[in-house]
Amino acid sequence: MEMLILLLPLLPLFSAALNHVSYKQAGHKAAKTSVAFGVINFILAVALLAMVMGGDKTSQVALFDSWGILIADPLSVLMALLISGISLIVRIYSIKYMIEEAGYGRFFMLLDLMTATLLLMVTAGDLISLLVAWHLVGVLLYFLLGFDSRSHTAYRYAFWTLITYRVGDIALVLAAGLLFHAYGTWSLSEIFAAVTENPGAHQYFGFVLEELVGFLLAIAAFARSAQFFLHTWLPYTMDGPTPVSALMHAGIVNAGGFLINRFSPIFIQTESTLHLLFIVGLVTAIIGSVLMLTQNDIKKALGYSTMGQMGFMIMECGLGAFSLAIYHLIAHGLFKGTLFLGAGTVINKARKHDGVPQDDLYTFVVERQSAQQRQPWLMMVGITLAVPIIILFLAHWLVAQNFFQNQGAIVLLFFGWITGAQLLFTTYRMHTQNIWRLIGIIILSFTVIVLGYAFISHAFDLFLYPDAAFREQIYAAAGIDIFWFNVLVLLTTAIIVASWVLIYYSEQNHMSEQKKITQWWIRFYALISREFYIIDFYSWLTRTIFKAATRLNVLLRWR
Amino acid sequence: MSGISILIVGLFLPLFPLSMIFNELFSRFTSAKLRIALLIVWPQVGIILAYLFEVNIPDWVITWALFTALLYAFRGLTLREIGLWTSFIATSSWAILWVVLDSDTTFSQLMFYTLGLSLPLCLLVLLCGELEKQFGAAYTGLYNGLAESLPRFSGVLVFVILAVVATPLFPGFTVMLTAIFSTSASSIITGVTISIVWLFWTWAGARLLQDLIVGTPKENGKVDLSLNTTWAYTAALGLLIVGGIYSIGGLS
Repeated sequence: MEMLILLLPLLPLFSAALNHVSYKQAGHKAAKTSVAFGVINFILAVALLAMVMGGDKTSQVALFDSWGILIADPLSVLMALLISGISLIVRIYSIKYMIEEAGYGRFFMLLDLMTATLLLMVTAGDLISLLVAWHLVGVLLYFLLGFDSRSHTAYRYAFWTLITYRVGDIALVLAAGLLFHAYGTWSLSEIFAAVTENPGAHQYFGFVLEELVGFLLAIAAFARSAQFFLHTWLPYTMDGPTPVSALMHAGIVNAGGFLINRFSPIFIQTESTLHLLFIVGLVTAIIGSVLMLTQNDIKKALGYSTMGQMGFMIMECGLGAFSLAIYHLIAHGLFKGTLFLGAGTVINKARKHDGVPQDDLYTFVVERQSAQQRQPWLMMVGITLAVPIIILFLAHWLVAQNFFQNQGAIVLLFFGWITGAQLLFTTYRMHTQNIWRLIGIIILSFTVIVLGYAFISHAFDLFLYPDAAFREQIYAAAGIDIFWFNVLVLLTTAIIVASWVLIYYSEQNHMSEQKKITQWWIRFYALISREFYIIDFYSWLTRTIFKAATRLNVLLRWR
Repeated sequence: MSGISILIVGLFLPLFPLSMIFNELFSRFTSAKLRIALLIVWPQVGIILAYLFEVNIPDWVITWALFTALLYAFRGLTLREIGLWTSFIATSSWAILWVVLDSDTTFSQLMFYTLGLSLPLCLLVLLCGELEKQFGAAYTGLYNGLAESLPRFSGVLVFVILAVVATPLFPGFTVMLTAIFSTSASSIITGVTISIVWLFWTWAGARLLQDLIVGTPKENGKVDLSLNTTWAYTAALGLLIVGGIYSIGGLS
């Protein structure tokens, strides 16, 4: 097993070296070498996962005395499989997609290096290796996004990515410095054992070490996973090659969720960091989704969609659902990778044929034509509010009876409830020959999805965190005072129920159609279309910094 | 360490405004060989003197050194003349050595770290000379698109800049980690300041690269580095990486 872990990052590194030596002579060879090594890597990752699932204990191998430790535990092998898989797909896709690009061989070399670095990142068993990999991912991504050396725009936005990532690197370096100072070792397993054995033993600058480190790790995760205020790089990096966008959105951007899971023994000892994760994640999820809805560029819309999904992933961590975040990032990685790799074909097809299906779904969703004949609104309110919540409760009760004791689980159920209710509400207004048949199919689909989600996420929970007490500790760390939690739950429920009743009532009486567009609504739209002026703010800040630096240079006579 | 000895060491491990002397000297030396000699010898003299004077660095000197490092890293953001850029980054990185000097690092380690910071800058001086030979001046913004017109040169330049801005596996990375790790537990502000200096280096390095290698080349017919020269640079960079990996092992 030790040899397999070692080979995991070394194989793509070897492939990159081979490509560097040979790509000038034969571009195609580079692609073939890269894919061949990718296949072996994927098989290795599958074998490692099978071993860990088969009950092999967590094992590790050290390249050097104090660093270069690689570990194979459930989290690392699962992430390694995801990275190897997506990287292999991206490489296969790139064979034809990049064929006409100059520097074809260089592209595969960079992809190999990126794969090696990502694999080092997820298998790193010590702080130094993690820092090296974490930092290098940003540097390599900069060159992959700026692959077209003629494009100033590509480099401009690649730079945004680099500089944001560096902000996150700084936080991680500071966290590593504090951990090393406190425990005198780089080894993650030794640090986690010491933290678990004696939590709260160290204090720095008036804060408990775990709290301070948790906060710094959160910043690192925010930068990597494009959380609000550190998100501007993500939707704008679309000038890079499509395979790079796919790799970035499907794999690299998920690193925030991975980092939080890797340091879970630290996070369970914190009091407020998980709440910070919840708030930042929630804000990012909402803003990312709102901005996605207002885009008319498919790739930019996908970028903001990723931002929203990343917000949701961080929010899940903030609720204590760590393993659910891993499941989410894998599921998101697969579907977003597919969307990116398919975006080019969709755009090409749309240029030849608009592909507008003249059916009820299109006229309803795009042209916003709803049916005149509607079912009794009160009955629909009842179905909308009751059916999703019943399905959600039953599905989770089947999986784990004590599930509802966790506050985080209740909050997540709220999101499921709203999604299910929105689905039913949408259906209610659609043209169809048999509305009850449609509603029945939707409820069935919803049930299948919820059951699948509940069972798979529970399986992830058992695989990643087999210790039940540890799982409870994570949820407990994310919890708040029970009185205030109950108040918030009741208040939120009341608001949701009242909102749905109001929406149905206004729809029934055509009140929404009578509404005039107010000045406030236009202002709000302007705010969204300018992306909350955050990019303008950063541009102004950059100009100010450059002006100040130039003035200083003139003042000091360039010496 | 007395005030006088601090001032003497502060000349070689530059503290502002004494740093202006090094920058003035560097700009007066137009020969690449002299510049390289200066980049290697100047900070080593500082380290040797610091040990001769039996270092016991007061906190205010660390603050002064950090201010110098931050000042030159910040000013480096808008520089377009590559020679000047080199000397500013040298000043900024050597000022950080005061922090390392104050840690548990041994004399030989420190000499090694200093060399690790200087050598990438020496390679940059050589590349700068190459640009002057080709274009008459080593200046960003005058010509661009080097990735296309001089691919080998650009490849080497990218790696040299990465080494200068302390990217992982190069020795500068170990120096920065040593500086941050040795101070962040006692003063988070010091740790954050060093990190910001590091961030500015990356920013300045990325700007320099973008202004040189990106775009469509304005002039054709320029002569790229020969294969042998490219391999020589590759070997030098490879040695730096080996040195970087070796030095990471000594982190404590």
